[in-house]
Amino acid sequence: MNKQKSELSRTKIFSAIKNAKPTVTMDVKTIQQEAFELLKESEFARPKLLSEDATQALVLRIEAGLVIGTSCEKISTLDDLPNSVNQFFDKHSLPQEIKVQGIDKLEKLDWEGISTDSDIENDNTVGLCWAEYGVAETGSFVVHSSPKMPILLNFLPLYLIAVIPKSKILHYMDDYALIANEIAKKGETPRNMCLISGVSGTTDIEGVLVQGAHGPEVLHIIIVEDQ
Amino acid sequence: MQVNKPEDFTKNVSKALAQPDLKKIIRRTTDKAETKRTEAVANFPEFENARSQGQKVKDHTIKYMDHYLAEFEKNALAQGTIVHWASTGEEASKIVLDICRQHKAKKVTRSKSMLGEEIGLTHAFDNSEMERIETDLAEHIIQLAGDPPSHIVWPAMHRSREDVVKLFREFHEDPTYSEEITDLVRSARRDLRNKFLTSDIGISGSNFLLADSGSSCTVTNEGNAELTITPPKVHIVTAGIEKLVPSMAHAVPLLRLLTRSATGAEITQYITFHNGSKRPNDADGPQECHIVLVDNGRTKMLAEGMEEMLRCIRCGACMNHCVVYKHIGGHAYGSVYPGPMGSVLTPHLDSLEVANKQTHACTMNGRCEEVCPVNIPLPKLLRSLRAQSWQKKYEPLTNRFVVQSFAELAKRPRLFQLLSSCGVIFMKVFSRKGWIKYMPFTSGWTRNRDLIEPGSTTFMHQYKKMKKAKSGGA
Repeated sequence: MNKQKSELSRTKIFSAIKNAKPTVTMDVKTIQQEAFELLKESEFARPKLLSEDATQALVLRIEAGLVIGTSCEKISTLDDLPNSVNQFFDKHSLPQEIKVQGIDKLEKLDWEGISTDSDIENDNTVGLCWAEYGVAETGSFVVHSSPKMPILLNFLPLYLIAVIPKSKILHYMDDYALIANEIAKKGETPRNMCLISGVSGTTDIEGVLVQGAHGPEVLHIIIVEDQ
Repeated sequence: MQVNKPEDFTKNVSKALAQPDLKKIIRRTTDKAETKRTEAVANFPEFENARSQGQKVKDHTIKYMDHYLAEFEKNALAQGTIVHWASTGEEASKIVLDICRQHKAKKVTRSKSMLGEEIGLTHAFDNSEMERIETDLAEHIIQLAGDPPSHIVWPAMHRSREDVVKLFREFHEDPTYSEEITDLVRSARRDLRNKFLTSDIGISGSNFLLADSGSSCTVTNEGNAELTITPPKVHIVTAGIEKLVPSMAHAVPLLRLLTRSATGAEITQYITFHNGSKRPNDADGPQECHIVLVDNGRTKMLAEGMEEMLRCIRCGACMNHCVVYKHIGGHAYGSVYPGPMGSVLTPHLDSLEVANKQTHACTMNGRCEEVCPVNIPLPKLLRSLRAQSWQKKYEPLTNRFVVQSFAELAKRPRLFQLLSSCGVIFMKVFSRKGWIKYMPFTSGWTRNRDLIEPGSTTFMHQYKKMKKAKSGGA
């Protein structure tokens, strides 16, 4: 019954559009060409980056305080990551426990002295994730859902550390959109693609900004130079 | 709180103006948003180019709406999303409730969506056996207070910190006894966290629908959309058909405009593209994904030459800059969408007959159009609705009589000038120290402010005198 009703509404909507715009062409190639032309304007319609180098632009953006609740550092190799995580614990006076995304690259590191596991729970304090991409324009890191990437890892802990491989830092959101399009062509689009640019925040009570509304209150980005 | 109706606009306005603190509360948020937007635009010299591109993207999609709708449907189905169509808000609401009932849902979490309000989803759940949990902090506050939203970006802006303290103490399981805003936010975090994780169904709106992938996109600062959608077994998206864009690359310029125009930030903290249900072996995510595509007056707007309004990306900049909104607030409009954009939308979602007064609540100063990120000519659209309202005889008889009398009088210049001169003398009788506090037939004006005393003679008289003096002088 609902399906029939839905079909009926579909027909009604399409015929209402057709009646409103009876002269519009439906030649797919023409439409695609017009859509493509629109994207050429992006070059003149996006903000200048703080540096021509994407990594530097992302770092400068975070250091200028333009990404809410976020700090960043660069490390030479992935082997330096446990040391950086330890320093993060010290800075925020946190116990040495961390939920690490369950990928080999992170799990096989020498985490001596730090308690790690990958089972995400409600009251976890610190999470560590591997970003697929970074975006300099917005100071974002991008995560894709997968068997090894629970989306909740990025939302449940109060403190989040995101590792971005330097080679995957893009200049603009447009660059990420092109990559997403390539992923789609291969039929490999993940369920979720999240661009995260700072911590969970709200200004809903008297316009005052509070960090950690539902998700992380503190975000630390670590850029790995040899990745 | 008693919900206002759009047809009672005049009464609602009087009620709003009589609230001593309301204007102060509204301006605290809107003035800040105005300043921050100005700064954001100043820091983005390419803003005008972005605006032009954003407008073109929306116009292109609206022009080929049937093509993009069909493409979106095909790609959403290919991703395993179940697509539903609804001509009216009532139909849409019923579809959502039926899905929830099929899954025997008891608890339903919802992230902020103005479309959800528009289709009456909140009331539909409140009249059902299911528990509705609003997860956006502002929506959480107004749900506890039983209020409708008063702004499309800050729905609880009419509620003070003191109100929130009282509400949280009454309703939260483990409330804070502090009155600090940070502690209040923590209290909401504690209260909502378990509800996120035990919800049966997650409902979201969509800021953009991507035709080439069948994806929906949510934009939040709190991250509540992802927490609403990920844990439950079912995700339901409700979206208006005008949310379409051809692809993610076409959504990007609109994302650049949206947050700068709404809050003055350059980007929101969370932008997520949702592509159907969870993939095999995914670590988390809903097993089933539905999308309800809603018309509810949008194709009517297309047919009636109001398609420019379908560009709207719901940033709220027009209301933040509207002198009328800043005086009366959102509730006075009696509609889900207040301010200039609401005054254009409501007559189409409801009817012009009930919402025609809102179209007159505009000074035509043009600020809304100046700040609109997609160049919607709101004053032009409001004027067109006023014309329709006149043609359909929705204006009160007294207004019609006055306007028609003026039209007749304007055709007879001598009589007009004579009566104007009499008017000046009449007004002077009531004038005290340059101001008129009371005068017959002007109570609508003098109830809230004084009327300035007119000049000693009429404009025409002074003009003729000046012209004569000039020609004499030459």
